[in-house]
Amino acid sequence: MAVIKEGLLKVDPGLFLWTVITFAVLVLLLWKTAWRPIVDALDARAEKVRGDIENAENARVEAEKVLSVHRQEMAKAKDDAADIIAKGREEAEKMKNEIVEKANKEASTIVDRARKEIDLAKENALSDIKNEVVLLSTEIASKIISKNINPDDQKALVQEALNKMRTVQ
Amino acid sequence: MIGLMQFFNSYVTSGHGGGGEKETMYDVVMHHLCDHVLTGGFIGKINETYLNEKLFGIFDMRITKWVLMLWIAFFIMMLVFIPLGRKIKKAKSGSKSRWVNMWEALIGFVHDEVVEPNFDHKYIKTAMPYFLTVFFYILFCNFAGLVPGASTATGNLGVTLGLAIFTLFFMIFIGTVKQGPLWIFKGIVPHGIPFVMYFLLWPIEIAGLIIKPFALTVRLFANMTAGHIVIIIFIYLVMMFQNLWVGIGSVTGSLMIYLLELLVAFIQAYIFTTLSAMFIGQSMHAH
Repeated sequence: MAVIKEGLLKVDPGLFLWTVITFAVLVLLLWKTAWRPIVDALDARAEKVRGDIENAENARVEAEKVLSVHRQEMAKAKDDAADIIAKGREEAEKMKNEIVEKANKEASTIVDRARKEIDLAKENALSDIKNEVVLLSTEIASKIISKNINPDDQKALVQEALNKMRTVQ
Repeated sequence: MIGLMQFFNSYVTSGHGGGGEKETMYDVVMHHLCDHVLTGGFIGKINETYLNEKLFGIFDMRITKWVLMLWIAFFIMMLVFIPLGRKIKKAKSGSKSRWVNMWEALIGFVHDEVVEPNFDHKYIKTAMPYFLTVFFYILFCNFAGLVPGASTATGNLGVTLGLAIFTLFFMIFIGTVKQGPLWIFKGIVPHGIPFVMYFLLWPIEIAGLIIKPFALTVRLFANMTAGHIVIIIFIYLVMMFQNLWVGIGSVTGSLMIYLLELLVAFIQAYIFTTLSAMFIGQSMHAH
């Protein structure tokens, strides 16, 4: 017991009580002024960091989803473009054929018409020539008549003229 | 502050006093490790006028060197943590200051290593302030004691007992609140034992309840005292041998022990806090 009252192992009741008082006051003071705001702020920050990480993760997943949708759309657009090109080519081909056909048809109608016109012109020319020949032969005849020809000769002449005309025709 | 200066002055002069009388090693060690009532200056006057009577006949409330060290640690903590709280509250996404981040790291250490493993999630916030105070108060007392000329408040059984009594109080208080008033009879004994064993185990568990804070008391006291004794004896060797080579060797040894003490100061604060958290956390659940 002497050791407890004196020396290194002494437990001084006064010091003990001072420790308890000091420590209790310190706990109460710092609780309100320091620890509460510090713990609150650190917790809030930890919560915020956790939230941020979660948000980032969500954003990443979302971005991946959007990217895959985008990729699909790109592939679809490519296919569509190829389709459109193929269809365009086909249509162009068709159009070309149509145009060529139409042109051919038109050309043949033009040719036909030209031929008809040529025929008509030829007929006209022939009839003109016929008239001219008749006129000419009549003139010749009148000339011969004026030169006093006999009726047999006259007949032969007319016949000859008519034959000539027939060969021309 | 003036009182403090006068106190240091009287301390230094009294250390070399004795009027040529030869001091033994025991005297030197005891002088450094035992408490003294302050006599000089302002505090001495307060002691004389107001605190001379013993409180309730047993508590000698005169302010001693150890009480002064307790108060120094107290004021350092107030000076550090109250502005720190304001700064941390203001910097929402983390301060850039190294000072703030250093303390934040230590607070995070207490949170992750001490409180979180021993308490349920919803009680962490309530438990944090107490364990932060325990940890930093012991840490500051330990480090304040390593300042040359100062003394280690935690190297005294009265002080360590005062800190450990809080652990005992919270063990009993939280056990009673969380597990009902019959906790002291039912909660501390393991469940599922034969009825007869109860009468054997209950006294053991009660003894354990007392021994836990007692162990805390002695561990902190012994660790803080032992290092100081070794440092003082190393220094005393110089006076004993009065030899250059012993001087170099013993001062080097003393320095090594001093560096070790810096580590021990931190480790003991951590151990005291962790064990307190473990003991208090245990009394929250029946086992």
